[in-house]
Amino acid sequence: MALIEPPIPPAPPEPEEAVLLRAAFAGDAGAWEALLRRCRRTAYLFALQLTGDPDEALDAAQESLLRLFRHRGRFDPARPLRPWLLKIVRNTVADSRRRDAVRRRAAETVLAAGGGRSPEDPHGEAERQETRRMVWEALGELDAAAREILILREYHDLPYREIAEVLGIPVGTVMSRLHAARALMARHLRRRMKGVGHA
Amino acid sequence: MHESCPRGFDQALLSGHLDGELTQAADQRVRLHLEECPACRALFDQIRSVKETAMSTQFNEPREEQWTERPAGPVSAATRFTGWFLAIVWALALSGYALWQVATGPEGLAVKLLVFGGLTGVVLLGISILMDRLGEARSDRYREVKK
Ligand SMILES: [Zn+2]
Repeated sequence: MALIEPPIPPAPPEPEEAVLLRAAFAGDAGAWEALLRRCRRTAYLFALQLTGDPDEALDAAQESLLRLFRHRGRFDPARPLRPWLLKIVRNTVADSRRRDAVRRRAAETVLAAGGGRSPEDPHGEAERQETRRMVWEALGELDAAAREILILREYHDLPYREIAEVLGIPVGTVMSRLHAARALMARHLRRRMKGVGHA
Repeated sequence: MHESCPRGFDQALLSGHLDGELTQAADQRVRLHLEECPACRALFDQIRSVKETAMSTQFNEPREEQWTERPAGPVSAATRFTGWFLAIVWALALSGYALWQVATGPEGLAVKLLVFGGLTGVVLLGISILMDRLGEARSDRYREVKK
């Protein structure tokens, strides 16, 4: 009888996206399910940020995953998946937008309460959450082109190269477009701050 | 206020600097300019604070069951499609065999008419359901992804 318990084998490493991609494209249905699971959070968040509506975002995310799967033959598995996924989500949202203009929901139903991370400073956290809400609402006032480039950069942290891919524009124009959107955003925020007397 | 730089500096470079997307030389130029230009510094601080605010923002996400309440995922949808396909082939083969048996068998005319009539009804029902389904699939839910 063994006196010492055998060491628990380390959990297998989380399969990397590349490994999953290869398996999925080799026809492994389980790999597809896992891959789509990984994609769905990103798809949902991007759709939510574009539309401002949780219900529409869930529909668009589901539809986007379906399209991703149906059009997998057009994708080169050697390339990163994220820009392709975001591009599909963008198209899906644009398609549904043509059918009916959607209203952005109140910030409270869209933004998660940021609390819990600094319980020692509840006042500061409340203020930061207020700033997050203000940025979110200012985003809703921008035109669609400014909004989407800001979302991709600020909420998804996409490098310029991937932003160019999602939006279908040359990499060289990303910086100037992004900066114009940021300057516009800054103007909106200054106006809002004056409105609530923060200035 | 800081709509543009009083010294004519290309302010788009401020964004490139913030995002770490500039070459070393360009990045150095921005750094030097920020030291001497209050207008650009103010704008830079503002876009940086928006970026930091956005990065710390969290969004409400659907619960697990909201994902599964919706139409099944593509892989299970494919499985279901295969299942229906095989079931239909099986039903067709079986009724074909039954028809042949009855047609060539010793049963009287009444029994034959009963069997043929019943099966024709079932087939017509099946065709109408199939046509409805095809109509649904052709509606806008499944359009091509645009370029
Ligand atoms: Zn300047």
